[in-house]
Amino acid sequence: MTLEECSKRFGERLALRKATLAVEPGETVVLLGPNGAGKSTLLRLAAGLLRPTAGHARIDGIDAVDAPRALRAGMAYAGHRSQLYRGLTARENLALHARLHGRALDLDGSRAAVGLADRADERIDGFSRGMLQRLALARATAHEPVLLLLDEPASGLDADGRTLLDHVLLEGRGRRTQLVASHDQDLPARLGARAVRLDTGRIA
Amino acid sequence: MIGAALAIARVKLVLELRRREVVFAMLLFVAATIVIVHFALRADDGAGPRAAAGMLWAAVVFTAVLGLLRAFAAEAEEGALDALLLAPVDRAAIWLGSALAQFGFLVVVEVVAVPLWWLLFFQEEGPAPLPVIAALLLANVGIALVGTLAAGLALGARTRDVLLPVLVLPLAIPLVLAGVTATYGAFGEEGGGFGPLGPLGFLALYDLIFLALAWGTSEHLLGD
Repeated sequence: MTLEECSKRFGERLALRKATLAVEPGETVVLLGPNGAGKSTLLRLAAGLLRPTAGHARIDGIDAVDAPRALRAGMAYAGHRSQLYRGLTARENLALHARLHGRALDLDGSRAAVGLADRADERIDGFSRGMLQRLALARATAHEPVLLLLDEPASGLDADGRTLLDHVLLEGRGRRTQLVASHDQDLPARLGARAVRLDTGRIA
Repeated sequence: MIGAALAIARVKLVLELRRREVVFAMLLFVAATIVIVHFALRADDGAGPRAAAGMLWAAVVFTAVLGLLRAFAAEAEEGALDALLLAPVDRAAIWLGSALAQFGFLVVVEVVAVPLWWLLFFQEEGPAPLPVIAALLLANVGIALVGTLAAGLALGARTRDVLLPVLVLPLAIPLVLAGVTATYGAFGEEGGGFGPLGPLGFLALYDLIFLALAWGTSEHLLGD
């Protein structure tokens, strides 16, 4: 995954300024920086959910916004919101995700789904922020992506949830490319990951 | 592609069954519109078949816009559209699934609206039912296809609630004209104006053209 001189402007505001970053296959990179630094914008550009104002965001040499189905099959992105349907149950949400990825639903085979099985048939509009975050993580990892993009995945998680998140990221180290935006300054050390700092839209 | 579209449509129908947010509002709106216009036109004094036909079609189109304003509301709540856009399916499936759900909502609305319209406007002899039903079903397809595409286009706009009717209503004018003509024709009157195709053939052609157009553009319109 590479960003080449990538900029993104929202109206008057330049959210990302000429960011250049290369993440090697199997590498884990933690994006650190204060609120408004451009971490979320960078991740959305990397996922192809935003088109850069200038520069390129590429995955396997292909512009991320034009990623074909085969490439999207190996990608996952979890942002600030859970990307789930609030009126559905946890099981129904994961089943839809599995269906769209041409897979069978496997609640028991996913480490990220630990703790969800008991509440799998509850509608998620009654879930706490932490439970939603767990479910979002389970959704993002359910199809075993080779590129995992996570935007502040620990937000709202309790201690058990954060431990689970660390396990998921440690398990993925070397097996998939992981780019994680976080406020947790200790996360790169815990994961043995490269830290990249962003400030006011620039990579420091 | 079709399987993914059906899965998305099913989700939307399940959500509507559980929350009753869209169809209930559409039903209230269409019923209120028909009753108000009935009294405004004093239909029992004989409003005439063309006025009655025009009234039905105007009510259907404005009610459809009400539903289209909520076409992607469930995706907007928690950002589910991002997950759909990143799924390894044709992005046209997102549009098609949403359009199928809108089609279903319109059918439910018309199951209530048409008998009410009939009851209020035709104490004696009404139009032949089959051409009216065929015209409504064909128009539902067109409204759902075009409207859902416009709803996707307006999704990122701050003024989408204003933008959507501005986009949809001009495109719906041909549907209303053909629908009114088909309904008027169902009274045994000569509507005219649609050549050898007739109004039903015109509606079918409209559906095919916009199906192809929307299919080809939805990949780009639903993204950033």
